[in-house]
Amino acid sequence: MDATERMMLSFTLNGRPVEVDVEPSDLLLDVLRNRLGLKGTKRSCDVEVCGACTVLMNGLPVSSCTTLAADADGQTVLTIEGVAQGGELDRVQRAFVEHAGMQCGFCTPGMVLATTALLNVNPKPDNAEIRHFLRGNICRCTGYIKILEAVKSLV
Amino acid sequence: MSEASHRAQPPRRDFFEKVTGSAEFISDVVVPGMLQGRILRSTIPHGRIRNVDVSAALALPGVEAVLTGEDIAGLNNHWGLFLNDRPVIAIDRVRYVGEPVAVVVAVDERTAEDALDLIDVDYETLPFVTDAVEAMAEDAPVLHEKSETLKDFYFKGEAKPVPGTNIFQKYEYAHGDVERAFADAGRVFEDTFSFPMIFHYAMEPHCVVASFADGGLTLWSCGQAPTAIQKVLSRVFDLPLAKIRIITPYVGGGFGGKASVKIDPLVAAAAWKVGRPVRICLSISESMLTCRRLSASITVRTGVRADGTILGKAVRVVMNGGAYADTGPAVAIKAANRAIGPYHVPNLKLEAYAVYTNTVPGAAFRSIGGPQAVWASESQMDIIAGALGIDPVELRYRNMLKPGETVRPDLRPIDVDMAEALGQASQAMSRLDAAGPDAGLMKGVAVGASDPGIMAVAAVLVRLKIDGSVLVISNSVEIGQGIREVLRTFAAELLNQPAEAVYVMTPDTALAPFDWGTGASRSSVMMGMAIEDAAIDIRRQLADMAAAAFGVAAETVSLCPGGIVAGDRQWPFAELLHAHYGIDSGEVIGIGRISPHSRDGRLMQAPLFWETAAGMCGVELDEETGEVRVRRYVSVADVGRVLNRASAEGQDEGAAIQGLGHALSEELVYEDGQPVNASMIDYHVPTIDEVPEDFLTVLIESGTGPGPGGARGMGEGAILPVAPAIANALASRHGIRIRDLPLTPERVWRALQEKKAKP
Ligand code: FES
Ligand code: FES
Repeated sequence: MDATERMMLSFTLNGRPVEVDVEPSDLLLDVLRNRLGLKGTKRSCDVEVCGACTVLMNGLPVSSCTTLAADADGQTVLTIEGVAQGGELDRVQRAFVEHAGMQCGFCTPGMVLATTALLNVNPKPDNAEIRHFLRGNICRCTGYIKILEAVKSLV
Repeated sequence: MSEASHRAQPPRRDFFEKVTGSAEFISDVVVPGMLQGRILRSTIPHGRIRNVDVSAALALPGVEAVLTGEDIAGLNNHWGLFLNDRPVIAIDRVRYVGEPVAVVVAVDERTAEDALDLIDVDYETLPFVTDAVEAMAEDAPVLHEKSETLKDFYFKGEAKPVPGTNIFQKYEYAHGDVERAFADAGRVFEDTFSFPMIFHYAMEPHCVVASFADGGLTLWSCGQAPTAIQKVLSRVFDLPLAKIRIITPYVGGGFGGKASVKIDPLVAAAAWKVGRPVRICLSISESMLTCRRLSASITVRTGVRADGTILGKAVRVVMNGGAYADTGPAVAIKAANRAIGPYHVPNLKLEAYAVYTNTVPGAAFRSIGGPQAVWASESQMDIIAGALGIDPVELRYRNMLKPGETVRPDLRPIDVDMAEALGQASQAMSRLDAAGPDAGLMKGVAVGASDPGIMAVAAVLVRLKIDGSVLVISNSVEIGQGIREVLRTFAAELLNQPAEAVYVMTPDTALAPFDWGTGASRSSVMMGMAIEDAAIDIRRQLADMAAAAFGVAAETVSLCPGGIVAGDRQWPFAELLHAHYGIDSGEVIGIGRISPHSRDGRLMQAPLFWETAAGMCGVELDEETGEVRVRRYVSVADVGRVLNRASAEGQDEGAAIQGLGHALSEELVYEDGQPVNASMIDYHVPTIDEVPEDFLTVLIESGTGPGPGGARGMGEGAILPVAPAIANALASRHGIRIRDLPLTPERVWRALQEKKAKP
């Protein structure tokens, strides 16, 4: 493919319209981090296993490490930077802070967004549902105990 | 989940940045003008490099330079922590699959990545060896023809390599007469256990940005030991320490995989070659080719009387250290020590080897050598208990050291009550059993005692500003453990100021005083002591100022929130400093310095404190598939003093669940010289659905640690008991004794079949 062939995307990012020109093979993760300067979305496994790169597309979690930026065209994307409103943490963020559901914090943006998506689709998940839904988000630091406490506090 | 009442503690300050995505991690750092580097890695386990052709790569638009071994002939191009064995980049020879052979520096990562495909490396293959025991054989290929040891370079002491072999560390210790004890003993048990290579999987891969400017070198690094990096770079590039600056932003986990020195010299060399700032951020698969836990084969011989009393113990450890020694020599020593257990062993013999092989270099990993050692020794405790018909918990009590008794006469007496910890574990498990519906779980227990390898060298600057705000400046790296919050808490407490007034700076060697490094559960204790001294220093300065300015007796002056008090009079800092400096500005700088001579020399004896843990599990086994599930787990640790309960529990829980991964699934596998599962698709770490439904952390606050208020280090102990506790549970119910980790379904299933075949 001609490396200079580029395409213009427009989508809603954290509530605001954005336009960005990308190569067709650009990953959403790279475009968010390197082109749009939103570094809260993290790269870890590269292979859709860890969830560190989770963003919400139309309210559903996707791994931005394996999603083409082109697929965001015309969609609504939420990254961790768009969760707090007016400098106020939202309730999921508050729960993670209050229950110490993080240590190094590298998994946290993805965890918060995955939890947000879970509560969107299922406002009252039971323990098994929480454990099942968050299976795609790895945390190597906390051992998940405090993350589970944080999520349960929201139910 | 915790039973202890939650104290009203404000959340860690870093959480607010982390939960909003605004925390700047090392992989987020942007340095103006920086280029991106990607690494071409060896595809063969052992060989000579005949030629590296980089011409096509250099011709690719956007490529600025390619670094190879030829470029570094003029540098001091080898480095190490115990042995000067590691080239900055492969020179003439590669020793493992994944070893850096070339670095492409380009305008962006994708261009650099594309250029890697254009580099042509011509190798002449050499015989290779990936197994440590095979590497000790006489006819094994030798990886390093010469060995140059570096004494007291990073850890105190020196490696003892065996010249002409792959053995880069040989360690021996004995007290009493173990053979005689075995002759006297009713029974002598001999068992060999194996423990695999394990990947740290800190979620943020290794990342470094290097920049040469003004005759010096600045690095933004993920390293846990900034001053060790500084020292190594100073030697490689022949630069004064004062011209090397290491800045360490938030790091996305380490667990030892970012300790000592890792990719820093390589990234610096790339920047040196191209003359512009260079960033290299590895992929996770590359981090898997950068370091891993040392695998081990451990043979334990234990002589006991019929009543279970241990008369003697002999431990032989063989560790696979990979292609370069790193801190493997220390790991081997610790593995030997940590195999002793918190038991009275009157006759003891330890023997440990760390061996070069053509595999990813071994490295520190949470409780170095500990999980390997405790896997062996605590599994064997249950073998002994079973053979003698003694309850496993009872056998441990019978041999348990009391506080003040010694593991080894040359080590500090044990400073925790292990019997209490074990008792608390049993009680906590009973409570879970009483609350839980399923009483049919298999139970297993294990304990661990480790001697943190702590160098008593640390210092801190504490700057009290005229407005009462306080800045704590140290080289302690925030890697997730909450050290910044610990320092904030100590400074607030010791200066009697509100925690909100205290700020902790990002580590920067240009500003912060020398510190040995972050790891081995040391920082809260060492830095805590340093802050104690800094606070004394500040108080003394303020008292002298107050004596001169206000005519009060210096010894009556103490700090109160926002100012000082003397008798019934009180002044805000602003008034005191204004009076002292003559202008309404200024600060007081306190320095706290810890050395082995501090605290009347009490820090000289190793270990500074003992880190111990007791673990008890309730396990379920699917006999059809061999799948093991841990339903209940209790983790008990004496942490001396809990500074922040949520943080302390979190450290303990995180360690235990890492231990669960060690126990059930984690293993870096080699076949034919190649790592076959070095990606997160094939390497499984615990996910949230595998966490025991009932998990209880019990933190004992004995107040007996050396840190402020009796604090001791923590965060490493809880990983120790998990694997043997689970294996012991399986043995107790099914009579299967598995001696190799991980306890995969296949391995467990096979053991069940064998057991059925010959019961
Ligand atoms: S980085 Fe995308 S799932 Fe791991
Ligand atoms: S907090 Fe470090 S990976 Fe989750």
